[in-house]
Amino acid sequence: MVEFLELIQSPWALRALAASVLVGLMLGMLGTFIVLRNMSLIGDALAHSVLPGVIIAFMMMGIHSLSLFIGAVVAGLICAFAITWIQKQGHAKNDAAIGIVYTAMFSIGVICISAISRKDGVHVDLKDFLFGNILGVSNEDLWLSSIIFVGIVLAILVFYRHLFLSTFQEAVAKVMGVKVDLVHYFLLLLLSFAVVASLRTVGIILVVAMLVTPASTALLLSNNMKRVIFISALLGMISAAGGLMLAIVWDTTPGPVMAVLSAVIYGLAVIFAPDRGKLAQWLHQRRLADKITTEDILKYLLKNGGVASRSHIANGLELGTSALRRQLSRMIGKGMLQQDAQGVVLTQVGEDRASQLIRAHRLWETYLVNQVGMTESQIHLEAEDQEHHLTEDVLDHVDELLGFPDTDPHGSPIPSKRTPLGTVLAQLSAGSKAIVKRRQLRHAAMQYLWESEIAPNSELEVLKVDGAQLTLRVDDQRTFSMSMDLAEQLQVIAE
Amino acid sequence: MSLAIQIEALTVSYGSKMILRNVYLDIQAGQIYGILGPNGAGKSTLFKAILELIEPNRGEIKVFGESLDDVRNRVAYIPQKDEVDWSFPATVQDVVLMGRYPYKKFYQVINKKDRAIADRVMDQIGISHLRSRQIGQLSGGQQQRVFIARALAQEADIMFLDEPFVGVDATTEAHIMDLLRSQAAEGKTFLMIHHDLSKVDEYFDQIVLLNKRIAAVGPSSTTFTEENIKRTYGPQSKLLDID
Repeated sequence: MVEFLELIQSPWALRALAASVLVGLMLGMLGTFIVLRNMSLIGDALAHSVLPGVIIAFMMMGIHSLSLFIGAVVAGLICAFAITWIQKQGHAKNDAAIGIVYTAMFSIGVICISAISRKDGVHVDLKDFLFGNILGVSNEDLWLSSIIFVGIVLAILVFYRHLFLSTFQEAVAKVMGVKVDLVHYFLLLLLSFAVVASLRTVGIILVVAMLVTPASTALLLSNNMKRVIFISALLGMISAAGGLMLAIVWDTTPGPVMAVLSAVIYGLAVIFAPDRGKLAQWLHQRRLADKITTEDILKYLLKNGGVASRSHIANGLELGTSALRRQLSRMIGKGMLQQDAQGVVLTQVGEDRASQLIRAHRLWETYLVNQVGMTESQIHLEAEDQEHHLTEDVLDHVDELLGFPDTDPHGSPIPSKRTPLGTVLAQLSAGSKAIVKRRQLRHAAMQYLWESEIAPNSELEVLKVDGAQLTLRVDDQRTFSMSMDLAEQLQVIAE
Repeated sequence: MSLAIQIEALTVSYGSKMILRNVYLDIQAGQIYGILGPNGAGKSTLFKAILELIEPNRGEIKVFGESLDDVRNRVAYIPQKDEVDWSFPATVQDVVLMGRYPYKKFYQVINKKDRAIADRVMDQIGISHLRSRQIGQLSGGQQQRVFIARALAQEADIMFLDEPFVGVDATTEAHIMDLLRSQAAEGKTFLMIHHDLSKVDEYFDQIVLLNKRIAAVGPSSTTFTEENIKRTYGPQSKLLDID
């Protein structure tokens, strides 16, 4: 560790670190636009095409940062124009055109390298260009990189609107008068500057990694363009600086470590990103599935008069026993259910929630028939799905839009805030049906049910309302009368 | 009535395939135009030619009596839904503010006045509460309203809408039509490519029936006739579910 600290303080290491930070930042920023414009392959091509420019400049003027820079930029532009020219001629497919140009240019560079090595006896190592030679970062290189960095930052700041709009909607940008071709070449020019600055640190082959990977990671982490650019630059810097230090510790070439590190960060983001990450999506799916099961259980109980045994629920909703147990204990914990001898019983909280769901279901069915124009046979499954996702707010709007309907297209009552589904028998008019609730509030009602042999969950049909007297049919079998006083106390669920 | 667009002898072809043949068309200001015609009739191509997104083989187009370059601020284009990358990191506010870009030299910044205009437009269209939403997180109707808001923020006088009602529910469609009608009453011109033949009378002041060449142009009440539809869509047209 001490050794590492000493090593990292030596001048060459500090220069290397500064160069890496600059390269990480600039490639991260430019990469955002390159990725969003689907230009990753062009970015890679440009990086490879710089090689002959650098080598020819070296053959002409020797090692001199500025001449290498000019050679690289010229080569980069030749590459960009050649690709566009072939694409416009229509002789080759778009990506094939890219492949033709950059492999040819890269090969010319490689041939030149072997030519000078043979002739002049100068040793130029191809590997230094391919993977960088961080030990060779000179003060002059560092100055050049700093200037390029400042230039790129200024260019993005000044032309942000042009870049943003033409990247988002090229046609609209054109109509608004943005010279989109100019923006395209300008971006490629900036990119060839950045490639030159990156030659020593990551090298030609891995420029594309630092260009594409941090930007792709940033796009997973934010929906806001300015933030995406910032995060991408930051991640580029972290990958580059972190990769360099790890490479020093492991005594290996820095470029590949930087590339791997940025890929690892991308992998972590794929799993852990707050909204788009796999973990977040999995948790979301699971929570949604739980919510739907919970709500299905509540509805099932309400339709059964508020009570059911565990095995009935399991059969009725086709749930596995362990999944059901987990679900029920959660619901008991939330106060929606209580356990008693006959099974689980709906509490007031649970009943209210169930009533809300039925309201959602029946309002949505009514909406689909009245407003969307679907037929009665199509709507049930649609509503079965939607009822879990409709918010109270939306439902109130729908309710108002429909003019506060009392019944759904099938003729079943829609519970509202004023008249909940759970009500007393006396509220029902002749012809309507209801189920006797298991949980009765009044002792007198319990007593009466017991005496007249009406079991909980029995279906009652109101045949006639006659002042103080109510005529009922029980379970489609027997008919009998009940006083209005008692009907006021008998808790039922309207069907 | 003043002319918004004049098209003379417009011919466009892709390779050897003729898309538009000798089109002459006058578009009057303050009207809502429906551009109707079968698939491949050249409706989108007509838009692209007027907007100089493609090079015509022949023809002259004037917008407000001038060449497009002189009046770009006054023209807004709302492309088809599937031409938009909905995962793009842009918020509703970002998109509406784009309407102010044509007014800015490269050294000028988006200022308070621009933001105030964007705010007013978002209020008017009813999307203020969505301002920081990413565009992919909106419903189809909301997405369409965002682009109309951008055109309003641009204070454009002509809007080109390419099938704006694809994936939009009936209620929102009616809302958007109300909005366009009130804008047309203030003198704005709308050109809308439209597929659904059921509401033509209700939606458009004028219609252009197009099938590579102009089949008919005029007020929708007199132009939207069975005979004209047959001329546009062909005699065996099955689209004729109209009275």
